[in-house]
Amino acid sequence: MTTATGGHDHGHIHPPAPQVEEISDYSVLEIALRELAIEHGLFTAEEHLHFTEWAEKIGPASGSRLVAKAWLDPEFKKLCLTDANAASKAVGVDWLDPTGAGTPSDYTHFVVLEDTPTLHHVIVCTLCSCYPRPMLGNSPYWYRSTNYRRRLVRWPRQVLSEFGLIVPPEVEVRVEDSNQKCRFMVMPMRPEGTDGWTEDQLAEIVTRDCMIGVASPKPGRTADKHPIHKARHPVGHEPKPMGVAE
Amino acid sequence: MSAASDTGHDRIALLEAIRSQGKEWGVLAPKWGCNDPDPPWKFPLAGTFEALSESGALPSLERRHAEDELGDSLYKDVPPPESYLLTLAHTMIERGLLAEGELQQKMQAVRSRLEEE
Amino acid sequence: MSSSSKNTPVCRFKVGDRVRIKDQSWLFYSRVQLYARGVEGTIARLNYTDLVAEDETFNVEGEIEQHYIVQFRQQDLWPEYAFPNDTLQSEYPDRWLEPLNNSQA
Repeated sequence: MTTATGGHDHGHIHPPAPQVEEISDYSVLEIALRELAIEHGLFTAEEHLHFTEWAEKIGPASGSRLVAKAWLDPEFKKLCLTDANAASKAVGVDWLDPTGAGTPSDYTHFVVLEDTPTLHHVIVCTLCSCYPRPMLGNSPYWYRSTNYRRRLVRWPRQVLSEFGLIVPPEVEVRVEDSNQKCRFMVMPMRPEGTDGWTEDQLAEIVTRDCMIGVASPKPGRTADKHPIHKARHPVGHEPKPMGVAE
Repeated sequence: MSAASDTGHDRIALLEAIRSQGKEWGVLAPKWGCNDPDPPWKFPLAGTFEALSESGALPSLERRHAEDELGDSLYKDVPPPESYLLTLAHTMIERGLLAEGELQQKMQAVRSRLEEE
Repeated sequence: MSSSSKNTPVCRFKVGDRVRIKDQSWLFYSRVQLYARGVEGTIARLNYTDLVAEDETFNVEGEIEQHYIVQFRQQDLWPEYAFPNDTLQSEYPDRWLEPLNNSQA
């Protein structure tokens, strides 16, 4: 399965980005499970395509936009805190129609949690990994891990420090365990050094991790980076970790 | 016969064979110089999770509990998203939604098809 | 304070009421965390009225109940917790809450 992705930026032809050109059993397994499920009538190909396209489409941009707008407009901020579903519509997200099919996992009671100088929120779902996907996209692997879910409720400051976030002792850390039908998102505080910024500039520093509550927005911080734990492999393999080194 | 783990889940030979090859995306991507952080099958897998839940065949909460249990035991040395894929296959076989033998056959057929492309 | 008819959702509490999470057995699974059982907290918010999740999953004709956000002091949840200001919030339907003495309201 090889596809060349030739870029044509600014009149230059870039060499195609390298692709993995071997067929792993994992990619074969995914297809096989899907095809058998369809053959057994567990779902239809059309349903599968619909959900796959939705998973590809969602991302944190709407959440970033919501926060940036709230920072610039006190009335909009008030709306976010009193009627988050209505505020979501202003950034193009209708919680009553997130997938077009309304899966049971897309519960519709959206709540925005406002950070203040004396209150820092962080979100978890100890039960499974409920997440405001229409606003933030797919949840990161670490959010789904039992490691995060078990530890954040009991040792939030330690877990936050592993993400590089130290909260002063006098600031209240409030963990929100989303165990029912509400879906939560953090509205972090607007940082210093952003006077006169446009909505686009502000949205750029409101990353996904800032809206979960494991990071704080800062000028210049436009991406989430954190250690990616090295996989433990059977004897005989020397894996190279991807991403930021620990 | 597969050995039972202490969580009461039996190992499934087909899935053990996949796991032991260690060809996760975290290994393949750097080998080929590919910078994508996720394998391309991540999204169709998400589609499968949603479709199974929506149809009632495997509700998300049950799937996630099985994913936690299996991910902390039989597949604890497998990183995500490969762990999600293996635990899904394991759960579907355990619940009789499909059989190990037919999955093996289907995988062979899919691989042949892909290799011809 | 009354049991619900099919038309009136059960809603016994208001914001600020002190409550305790019940520790009751449930038939199959429960969304009420073990760490919260028997712990005292304060009603922080009234969210929505809905069927209780456990009923809904098994298609039992359940009653519609108020769902609340309850706030706990972390030091009430965990014996070794070192920061007195920190809190934890989670959601509970009416049936899982019992009133503490609210006479000082």
